[in-house]
Amino acid sequence: MKPVAADRQIADEDLMRAQFYALLSRLLVSPPEGDVLDDLAGLTGDDTDIGQALAALGEAARATDAAAVEAEFNALFIGLTRGEIVPYASYYLTGFLHEKPLAELRDDLAALGIERAPGHCQPEDHFGFLCEVQCGLILGTYGPPDLAVQKTFFDKHISPWADALFADIEAAPSAVLYRPVAMIGRLFTAVERDAFAMAGDLPKRDLPKP
Amino acid sequence: MTKTTDTTPTTTPPTSGLDRRTFLRGVGLGAGAAGAVAALTVAAGPAAAAEAVTAPADKDGYRETAHVRRYYDLARF
Repeated sequence: MKPVAADRQIADEDLMRAQFYALLSRLLVSPPEGDVLDDLAGLTGDDTDIGQALAALGEAARATDAAAVEAEFNALFIGLTRGEIVPYASYYLTGFLHEKPLAELRDDLAALGIERAPGHCQPEDHFGFLCEVQCGLILGTYGPPDLAVQKTFFDKHISPWADALFADIEAAPSAVLYRPVAMIGRLFTAVERDAFAMAGDLPKRDLPKP
Repeated sequence: MTKTTDTTPTTTPPTSGLDRRTFLRGVGLGAGAAGAVAALTVAAGPAAAAEAVTAPADKDGYRETAHVRRYYDLARF
């Protein structure tokens, strides 16, 4: 990711949203290694629901180590033939990988001027990838931030299957560290949904054309 | 295509954005919780799997993914 342009003012609330997306993206794409796991172990929270979930994540991080987390991640998302969780929009919305939701996402990514970084071959409709894109849309990585574009991207690509995904992760047999991660994801997605609803008079914005 | 403009956003937030901002501050993204997340994600950053289009990347060819590494691990005997 490119750094945020220094002269661009991002509101505090939007920075926090970006940080939650970045957190979900980071943890869903690969298991947290030493430094990141140490940071997770330092997490505390206030008495809000999300604060409690963050505190639970901190506690889970303190109770595990990098090797155990990697084993958990592999059991959850990689597996021998497949993991317990298949975190792709196409799979959740159609039952198969590489389906129409991926095609529609690729059209929208092309319109936004976003593509996979070299070295990544997973389909783009991975939830972690979607979170990273939304994070970049908030921070202005791909152009001036536009809340209407964020709402369109959220409504179209994230919201329809986020609840089902996080419910599955929370219930997955191997989930330990990822149970509070899924709680955070579920709560944060609900917050985003409510917040976008409050900005209800946003122009119905198609994603920009290339 | 990539927009590399450095101009500040020209659109002003809609009036109802105030309610939205108040709401976002109230649900726990703010206060202690987000402070912790801020400290975390500065170090961690997002997954860096997406990037703005700069040049046509060669999408074909070998990629060592987690799946592939997992295969190598299992095949090592």
